Amino acid sequence: MDYVIETRDLTKCFGPFRAVSALNLRVAANHVTGFLGRNGAGKSTSIKMLLGMTYPTSGSGTVLGHAITDAKENREMRRKIAYVGEDKQLYAYMTVDQMIRFTASFYPDWSEQAAQRLRRQYQLPPDRKVKALSKGMRTKLALLLALARRPALLILDEPSEGLDPVSIEELLQTLAGVAAEGTAVFFSSHQISEVERIADRVCVLDGGKLAADLSLDELRQDYRRITLGFTTRPPEHVFEVPGVQRIETHGRQVIVIARQNTNEIVQRARGFDAASVDVEPVTLRDLFLATVRHVQ
Amino acid sequence: MLFYKAWLESRTRFLLSAITMAALASLFVLMNKDVRADAAPHATYSQYLWLTIYKGYLRDIFVVVALLFGMGGLARERAYGTSGFTLTLPVSRWRLTGARAAVGVAESTIMAFLPAILLPLLSPLVNEVYPWPQALHFGLLWSLGGSFVFTMGFVASALFSGEYSAPIAAVALLFAYSIVADLPRVEQYMIDIHDFMRGTGPQGPLALAAVIATSTMLIAISGFITRRKDF
Repeated sequence: MDYVIETRDLTKCFGPFRAVSALNLRVAANHVTGFLGRNGAGKSTSIKMLLGMTYPTSGSGTVLGHAITDAKENREMRRKIAYVGEDKQLYAYMTVDQMIRFTASFYPDWSEQAAQRLRRQYQLPPDRKVKALSKGMRTKLALLLALARRPALLILDEPSEGLDPVSIEELLQTLAGVAAEGTAVFFSSHQISEVERIADRVCVLDGGKLAADLSLDELRQDYRRITLGFTTRPPEHVFEVPGVQRIETHGRQVIVIARQNTNEIVQRARGFDAASVDVEPVTLRDLFLATVRHVQ
Repeated sequence: MLFYKAWLESRTRFLLSAITMAALASLFVLMNKDVRADAAPHATYSQYLWLTIYKGYLRDIFVVVALLFGMGGLARERAYGTSGFTLTLPVSRWRLTGARAAVGVAESTIMAFLPAILLPLLSPLVNEVYPWPQALHFGLLWSLGGSFVFTMGFVASALFSGEYSAPIAAVALLFAYSIVADLPRVEQYMIDIHDFMRGTGPQGPLALAAVIATSTMLIAISGFITRRKDF
């Protein structure tokens, strides 16, 4: 598999606080990868390090084969990628048209045709100042500026933050469309439902560390949520077998999230006279909560 | 296009400052009889213009304006939330700094030559003469001195991103420089930028070169700070 992003032990410390800790991240080409994590998990810091906005304390990484810590290579990489930041702030003093002309001048692959098509599609008034645009309109303008340069990789930091449901829907459709045309998409979010809708791979970051990296197909095929009901409170340790991600006990009910050994867990439960056994596919939400709590 | 961005960013304050400076310079010329009678009754026309413009009120305003021209940059963009967009453009931080510095120096130079052009032009309207060489000489001193003051604001805004902290730091830096430059054992080695702009300090080629070199060095320091900074 080809990777558009690869990091090795990427670490960022702010004084004594480790925002990102030995991150080994791999983002596959031709995929939509969701970067999940709670607020403050280190997602934005990781993205900023990839883009050269923040310098790593230690470790290294490449984006599209360019070393992120080398200023020249990082600049060359930025010519090939597009980034849409969390707050989608653009130059308030420019008009939509000025913003488009300004951005176009930096990218040799800029498609004026695509820019005008997107401007019409997004109904962006060319003479309106950026400061007079709503957040939804600003997001559309930021997407236009990102897509018209025809990037090999599109990086978005919390793209749906602050958007209304209609704008979120339009955004997700745009991202799915971009990915279908061959652009790798890497986007951070703490909205599990969004990631589940358009991502085909997911990386979970927690406490600055990579807690999970898997494809959603893998999740649906391999992971199981086993809900066990007992007449008496069962010992938790019985279900601690390889592949178990999390065990939760609520009174006489035990919930096990497992990647493998589902049959063994069921057999052990029956050995303890389980009153009910339910085996279901795991949702991304289950896995996310299991991973985050497990790491904690 | 980085120059275009820097111009769009600063044009409002530049135009407002230019209008203010031009209006005040014109007022000092056109109302010279009234003002001179009150402020400098025994001064000649040239002495009066030097007292009010090159030494006094207008120079103070110009120093504040030049300092304000230095405000902005990536640290300020960080506060506005646009630094992410700017920093992901495929250009180096040195180029970003350089473009903004070039536009700022150009703007403060234009401001410096505003009185230099207006004084000889308007003086005949009040039956007075102000020699062009003298006006242009002060224009040159102001453009170099103004660029120097601008770069102090430039350094302060590279260090601080706050709306108030950067201007306060810039004023503090300028005050500190002025005080140090006036110290008895230091004054022979440092140019008092206020004396320089008044035309009462050293004005030889060495002095001009020293001011240019210091301004260039301050821009380079700003570039270095910006290059090392996390955003």
